[in-house]
Amino acid sequence: MTPARRHGAVVLALWAVALLLALVAILRVPFVADMSAFLPAKPDARQQLLIEQLQSGAAARTLLVGIAGGDSAQRAAASKTLAAALRGSGRFEQVQNGETAGFAAIGQWLFENRYALSPAVSADRFTAAGLADGIADTLSLLGTPAGAAIKPLLERDPTGETLRIGESLLPAAGPRSADGVWMSRPERGRGERALLLAITRAAGADLDGQAAALATLREAFAALPEAGVLTLELSGAPLFSVESRARIETEAHRLGAFAAVLVSLLLWWVLRSWSGLAVALLPVASGVLVGIAAVALGFGSVHGLTLGFGATLIGEAVDYAIYYLIQARRHARDAPHERGWQRWLRTSWPTVRLGLLTSLAGFAALVFSGFPGLAQLGVFSCAGLLGAALTTRHVLPVLRPDGVAVSERAARPRQRLGRLAARLFASLPTWRRAIVALGIVAAAGLVWQHDRLWRADLLSLSPIDAETLKLDAELRAELMPGEGGLLVVVQGPDLETVLQRAEAADARLQGLVDAGQLAGVSSVTRWLPSQAQQDQRRNGLPEAVALRTALAAATAGGPLPASRLQPFVDEVQAARTRPPLTREVLAASPAATLVDALLLERPGGGLAALMPVQPIAHTAQALARVEASLAGLEGAVLLDIKPELDRLYQRYLDEAKAQTLMGATAVLVLVMLWLRSWRRLLAVCQPLVLAVLFTLAGLALAQVALGILHLVGLLLVVAVGSNYALFFDMLHHDRTNAGIAGPADAEEANDTLASLALANLTTVASFGLIAMSEIPALSAIGRVVAPGALLALLLAAAFAGRPAATPLSR
Amino acid sequence: MNACARILALVLFLGTFGPPVQAQGQSAALDVAGLAALLGQRRETQARFVEERFVAGLDQPLRASGTLSFVPPSRFVRQTLLPRPELLAIDGNQVTMQRGGRTRTMTLDSVPEATALLEALRGALTGDLASLQRHYVVRVDGNAVRWRLSLSPRAERIGTQVQRLEIEGQGAELRSVELQLAGGDRSTMSIEPLVANLPGAAPAARK
Repeated sequence: MTPARRHGAVVLALWAVALLLALVAILRVPFVADMSAFLPAKPDARQQLLIEQLQSGAAARTLLVGIAGGDSAQRAAASKTLAAALRGSGRFEQVQNGETAGFAAIGQWLFENRYALSPAVSADRFTAAGLADGIADTLSLLGTPAGAAIKPLLERDPTGETLRIGESLLPAAGPRSADGVWMSRPERGRGERALLLAITRAAGADLDGQAAALATLREAFAALPEAGVLTLELSGAPLFSVESRARIETEAHRLGAFAAVLVSLLLWWVLRSWSGLAVALLPVASGVLVGIAAVALGFGSVHGLTLGFGATLIGEAVDYAIYYLIQARRHARDAPHERGWQRWLRTSWPTVRLGLLTSLAGFAALVFSGFPGLAQLGVFSCAGLLGAALTTRHVLPVLRPDGVAVSERAARPRQRLGRLAARLFASLPTWRRAIVALGIVAAAGLVWQHDRLWRADLLSLSPIDAETLKLDAELRAELMPGEGGLLVVVQGPDLETVLQRAEAADARLQGLVDAGQLAGVSSVTRWLPSQAQQDQRRNGLPEAVALRTALAAATAGGPLPASRLQPFVDEVQAARTRPPLTREVLAASPAATLVDALLLERPGGGLAALMPVQPIAHTAQALARVEASLAGLEGAVLLDIKPELDRLYQRYLDEAKAQTLMGATAVLVLVMLWLRSWRRLLAVCQPLVLAVLFTLAGLALAQVALGILHLVGLLLVVAVGSNYALFFDMLHHDRTNAGIAGPADAEEANDTLASLALANLTTVASFGLIAMSEIPALSAIGRVVAPGALLALLLAAAFAGRPAATPLSR
Repeated sequence: MNACARILALVLFLGTFGPPVQAQGQSAALDVAGLAALLGQRRETQARFVEERFVAGLDQPLRASGTLSFVPPSRFVRQTLLPRPELLAIDGNQVTMQRGGRTRTMTLDSVPEATALLEALRGALTGDLASLQRHYVVRVDGNAVRWRLSLSPRAERIGTQVQRLEIEGQGAELRSVELQLAGGDRSTMSIEPLVANLPGAAPAARK
């Protein structure tokens, strides 16, 4: 074995081992698709609460269900059958559809525990005045339609504690009820629908469990006798997560496959060699594998979207192979003993390497992002590009020492492409002034409009389409009216502390409700008061003798004689020795799931009570009042989820902008260090800046709401475009220095142009595909990079000193 | 909890009966359409009410009094002054209740029984007897000077609580509302207008 062959074998072996290791790393890591990757890794305290709430709160497990079509009776019947099937399936913790039958058990439980739960119970309540007050409250309801429900309880609960509990649990706004179930409110242009709420048993992060629950729901609906005329409408976090994962997976596969086919066709057209084509795809495949493996090793999980970007990497990584295969060839006259790859390493590799370094510099900025999603993207791109470049640099020379075969016939399409490109590129510099002028106009326009450009929000990262989001908003407004995502979160190290703090917060918020400044507030302490509170209530319960005396005074001369109230005296006595309510007792009660939804175990230890707040109007003033009422309460924080998410996204965007700027600066510094000429730096940067400006201006003209992924796309434009610009600079520089333009040089320049044109075609084609993706995050990138890369190439040609090469005439 | 909401709402609805206006001096026998036309002239009104409820098992009837107001199309306020201050205000679908210093709000259509009762009132107050007939079998006796509107619930859910509703009036005014409950309990409310505001009816009244 010659040393060269041995070297080649070692390289191939190392490469194979590296790919195998990458594959192992990939196969061992879970793929996720939830939004958590787009939430900050190091959040502040408030964001931490928000994230916990989004990830493990009941909201992450709540499905909103609509049943549309048919007539009212059919919808109501379907709602009842479906709810019964779901309750029986065991996959749902709670299923609500407006039927009241299920509440009988809860009502009974509340009645039995009324002296521990009623906010009115205290020592004062059992004085003559307190009793008279309670009895008057109860009597005010008798003789009314509602009295029928109270009358049977009169002798056991004359002071109306059950009623007081009911009052404290009354939702400030609820869904409309008709035909015994929840129905949407009639609205013009929209059919009525029956409404259900189903909370899955599977945790928010358990996507397989969520998928199983969804399947159960769909099957139960399909089995309904009315299923033929009715439509099932679904929404909610579990659906979003499950569908996102599925959609991202299929899209990533589909786009990857399409891009591979398209790029292969282009490559084959130029290379005219199947083996050459196979070799050309190796760097891309290696890059994608290495990129995913790097993310797997660095993050412990791979987000589906990162996988989706695998398709984007094809667009750039395949360029390296194209440059190598077309440019690496023997140069018979200059260096007859030099192999093609050696010559390529000498002449072109430094430029490719610089292009690689600038791309890495751009993406490295993302690696340090505080958001795992962006950091993953940065790591993936850096590792992927590096893997692709190393494969090109070391493996391709072993497999194809002289590039692709250069038979006369096979070379023809490439030469044609080169000539075409040369002619096109040669004509561009005459437009320079016009282009610069247009660039200035674009820049001015962008500066003028800059406030309105970046208006995408966090939802733009979600793979959920606009129609599903609209349905979600409709169902949410019907099922949870008045719940504008306003939440008071009360934290504490242990349950008792949390409950006591929640009681303090509840008392303040209830004050606002009574003053008419807040529509309502819910608290877990209405179901599970703190032990301190329970003790206080229990201590307020009098002995039988004292109670009888007070009762006699309270009822004297009234319509309800004390003689009828012996059961009341007995039950108060029983309540004095009743064991306290604990979380364990509640877990076995019919109210268990209601409590679980309002109490959150925090991942770092401790608990949080969630207190949804319903403002009368969601105004800054109302929020300020709530905020002010919580002043001085330890562990209580007001979360306004939508603006909080917006703030999160804004931080995300600002961070990404800063990182992009840093990346761009790093690119500049690198290019400057390499070129050591202001003039050449300008020649390289000018087309990049203009490409970015024109792309942005185009998006702005198309009224696209720009977001973080457009920014990432621009970074890709700079990364890819810098390669083009550097090649043009190289061509121009070589010509100027050598001062010759012999046929061989012309042919070589022609090849370089052909490789540039082909690299650009593949990039534009693969990103063009991505632009058509149904996933907004992917299509956003595609819509930036496809036009951006094309512009970058044309502008690089336009600003590359003189016409770069004379067409080869044959 | 919904069940509780239901109880409360029903309770408080009980006397939301609105107020009265001026009479039209006609003595011919009245039918549903005639009464509807008569009541349709109603505008914003204020009235005083006195309510007596007869409940089996209690030694005395329960009395309450206060004021009522109605602003078409859908704002009702019942302010109880005695024996204890209470407020029930309905504005469209929004219900606000105040008792003993506590305020609660809820949505009206979450409680269909309450919706049905309120429809009855609104129907009687605005002359929209067509919508009334959706929930009740409607009968009209008497003439335009003195009339009686008898309502028997159709739907089973209201029927379980409310057996019969009788509204008596003079001209466009409501004068009393009697509610017969399923368990045998009964309530009557007599109404006395505070403000008369019915420009359309004035010429007829003078005749």
